[in-house]
Order: sequence, then C-alpha cells, then structure tokens
Amino acid sequence: MIILVTKEDIEHIARLMRIDIENSDEYFERVKKILGYFDILDKADIEGEDIPVQEVNIEDLRDDKYIAFDDKLIEQLKNYKGSYIRAPKMN
Amino acid sequence: MNLGISAIEYIHGIKSGSITSEEFVAKTLEHINKVEPRLHAFLSLNNNAIDQARQIDKKIKSGQNVGAFYGMPISIKDNISIKGGKTTCASKMLQNYVAPYDATVVSKLKSQDAIIIGKTNLDEFAMGVATEFSAFGPSKNPWNTDYVPGGSSGGSAVSVAGLESTLSLGSDTGGSVRNPASFCSIVGLKPTYGLVSRHGLVSYANSIEQIGPMGRRVEDVALLLNHIAGKDAHDPTTIDSKDQDYLSEINTGIVGKKIGIIKEMSSGAGLDKTVESVFKNAVAAFEKSGAIIDTVSLDMVEYTVATYYVLTTAEAGSNLSRYDNLRYGFDMDSEGYEFKSYISKARRNFGPEVTRRMILGGFVPSAGFAGKYLLKALKVKSKLKKQIQSAFSKFDFLISPTVPVLPFRFGEKIDDPLAMYLADINTVTANLTGIPAISIPYEIRDGLPVGVQIHANRLEEKQLLQAAYYLQSTTNLPEIPL
Repeated sequence: MIILVTKEDIEHIARLMRIDIENSDEYFERVKKILGYFDILDKADIEGEDIPVQEVNIEDLRDDKYIAFDDKLIEQLKNYKGSYIRAPKMN
Repeated sequence: MNLGISAIEYIHGIKSGSITSEEFVAKTLEHINKVEPRLHAFLSLNNNAIDQARQIDKKIKSGQNVGAFYGMPISIKDNISIKGGKTTCASKMLQNYVAPYDATVVSKLKSQDAIIIGKTNLDEFAMGVATEFSAFGPSKNPWNTDYVPGGSSGGSAVSVAGLESTLSLGSDTGGSVRNPASFCSIVGLKPTYGLVSRHGLVSYANSIEQIGPMGRRVEDVALLLNHIAGKDAHDPTTIDSKDQDYLSEINTGIVGKKIGIIKEMSSGAGLDKTVESVFKNAVAAFEKSGAIIDTVSLDMVEYTVATYYVLTTAEAGSNLSRYDNLRYGFDMDSEGYEFKSYISKARRNFGPEVTRRMILGGFVPSAGFAGKYLLKALKVKSKLKKQIQSAFSKFDFLISPTVPVLPFRFGEKIDDPLAMYLADINTVTANLTGIPAISIPYEIRDGLPVGVQIHANRLEEKQLLQAAYYLQSTTNLPEIPL
C-alpha cells in the first residue's frame, strides 16, 4: 500500500508536536527518505501476527503509597514564584 | 602504575596492598587531563573523586567492611542520573539540569564503594551511532582519532578503551552499548530486558532499552553486572536476578554447546569484507572450542531496522514531550511569550537528529498512518520474537558481527541518516526481543577494531559470559596506541 506523504503532512505533525522547523525543506527531504525506507515493512509476511503486549503483574508493582521527597524540587527551576511554576500566558 | 589493568586485577592490587584507591584515582585523573583534549570522552568530572578515594582507603586500612569495587574509577553515561550533578543527555535542552536523585544503578555502585569518576559523552538523548549528535562535540576513537567511536554510549567506550576509567555504564536501546564497544575494542553487554533497573535513566524508548556494563575484559563486565542486576521497586519491569553470580565459573568453556550463525547478519551486500573476514576467524575459533556450529536463518531480521526506528521514534515522540521548558527544559524566561510558541521556541534547543526522530515519532502512530507503520512494526516484533525462541530451541548461542561496517570517519554518514540507521541491523534484534547480547573485541585490522556479537536466550547471561570469556581467550589484541 503506497501512501504519499506530503510536506504539509510533515509540517502539520511538527506543529502538533510543537516543534519549530527553521529549514523545513531539509527536514522534509530527510524525513521523507526515512519514511520511504519504512515501506519495506509492506513486504514482511506478518499475516495473522498479534500485536505484542508487555504484561506486568499487579503484585509486582510497588505499593501505591506516598513517598516523601525531601528536596524542594521547585527550586530546581529558574521560573517559579512561591509554590507555583511561572508559565507563559494561555490564549 | 598501569591504568590498563582489569577490574579484577585492580581488586587484587588493593587487597594485596600494592596500590591504593587514592593513587589509582589520582593517576587516572592525571591521565584524563592529558588525553581529554584529544578524546573528549567526558562531559563532566567528579571534583571530589580523590577525597572519596581517600575515605575508601581509610576504610580498607582500618579493616572496616569495604564494598566490592574498593574505590575503583567507573564512568557513567550522561543520561543516567547522579544526585546533585548535571545530567545533560548531551543536549542543550538539559545543559543546566541537575538530577535530584540517584539512578538505582548509581546508588548500587556507590554502596559498593565505586568512585564515579565522571559523566560520559553520548549522542543527544542517546540517538545516534557515532556521538556526532552530541550538542557538546563528538568523542574521538582512541584507536584513530579521525574515526568515530560508535554510539550512542561512545564516551563510555572511549573512557574505558582510553584507560580513563576501569569500567563504565552505558545504555543500549538499539546497540548503543555494543556498537561503541565494537568500534573501540572493548566488551559491552546489553542485558535481558528487565535484568537491570532503568530508574534514573532518562527515557528514550522504555519498552526496549537497558543499562549495560562496559569494560576491557569479559570478567570485568561480569563483575559489574553482579552489582547492578536485580529487582527494583522503582522499575516494575525489573526481574529478580536471584543473586546470580555471573563471575564464578566464567572459565567453564562451551564444550558441547550449540552455536547458530545468524545468516542475515553475517552475509550479504551490507557486510564489509574486512568485518566478514574477522568474523570468519571468530567462527573458526568457536569451531575449536568443542561447540557444535550451524547456520540459522531469521528472515524477519531484514525488517528489524525499520521496525526499530518506527517503534523507538513513536516512544521518543511521547517521552520527549516532557521537555516543554516548564517541567524540564532550557529555563527560558516565560515573559513575553504565548504558551504554544514558548514551547516551540524552547524545543529549538533540540539538535537535528532529535527533532527528526520526534517528527517521525509523531508521524508513525498518527491517524491514517498507524496501520502502515506502527501496527506493522509491532507485528514484525511479534514474529521476530517467535523466530528467536524457535532458534533457541535448537541453539544455546546465536552469533554475528556486532556491526556490519568498520568504524567510519567523522562526517561520513552524518548527512545520510538512513546509512547511519543501517549500521544498527545486527544489534536491534536483541532489543526488540529482550534477549541479552554481548560484543567482544576480536581483531584490529588496519588500526581499526572489529567486534563479534553473541546472543543468548532471556536471562542466560551466565552462560553468555562463559561463551564470551572463551572467545576472549582466543584473541591476541595489541595495546592501544595512546
């Protein structure tokens, strides 16, 4: 199955991923080449294969308990005020 | 004082009183200062290393209990957290990030009196095979500084090969421990998925990556694995190692064992002729071991590079979304920015390869494309696992060259991501199937190292290290020209 990937598709994904691309032509060409290579998957004989899932037993999980962390993590940041992180305006 | 001694020899030296940790660490730092301008293995050094070594020497002298490493200098890849120290992942995005806690592997090493000598260079966020994608400049191959050291744990491999540390910890998502081990002529092990805790390792592709030990000798790698393996409440994917001693009986040999040569990794157009010839010599050495050798075909290997990059970019796209400059990031002031443009602007601090993989990672699982890329990759992974299990019902070990090409020159592949990705063809299978694999340095040809890879079934590290030890005993490697 050939699906043509356009420059607009890639720019759209980049916008959704909140990535600014300065030289989008260069990224487009390289990403397109890699996606073109991924077409090799069309040839794989995987008829009837399941999607694998990774199982973790619930008893193997640690207890759902609060563990105190002594350091003030917020002080690791440059942009905070009191116990709030300073974020840019949402609009 | 010989900084090239093995970890085991170091411990004997300390126990016999012929060396002290302080002397050894001081000499190591002196050597680091001398060679670092050429090699650039490290991104930061431990300024308290000599004081820490002195404290351990005091413990030794006064007869107190001393941990298994006796003040041995060990380097750590800079995507593994050490409390209070920078963990940059070789990215501008994290150049000022100070980790608030120790990774489990680091706590374990500290509790065994290892000296963390410094943090080593890598490809940004462990994405690459040459350290050329480090935001702070590449590391150089100590065998020939015109050549890449491999990656992404290139700094770790250089530090060990260049005698700047006795052991190192790297991380291996698609070969990042084994590839630089092969390129720098050292030993590197990717353990079974879950054998070593990933708590404190900065995530790239959680479902397949592992922290792995690196050293100049197989027995050193076994020693390091002894002290990092095991269950960890902070990482629910970890497995009980049952306190397995990987070092004892390492010289058992492999008489009667069955070895399969993986056809798709050991022949074909992509395999360099020199690498092929070295691999043939390793096969000949195995033939003399008393093991039974045959060829095995795993036809899914052809699709593993595409599968690996589809799955890892999808996971990376998700993992790297945390770098929004609020929770983690560049610490750019938020004044004057609108939310979306602020995050996009901050993310310009990602290098080109990370940006590329994030875009791919957004693409492959997206509506309209997931069926073509992600779901197919997952099915290949499923079938590959079955083929590997079937192979291990007939063989104890599966072998191949570690990397199909020789170390390459700087700049040779950087503009062709696809050519770079194809260098991973022999290493990604172990990650996709969760099995352990080790690279053993086998020969130096025209001044460039070539390694051989051995895979074993899940949790068969003990037997894997025995096979690696045997292969090591058949080598005759020259001293590194530092």
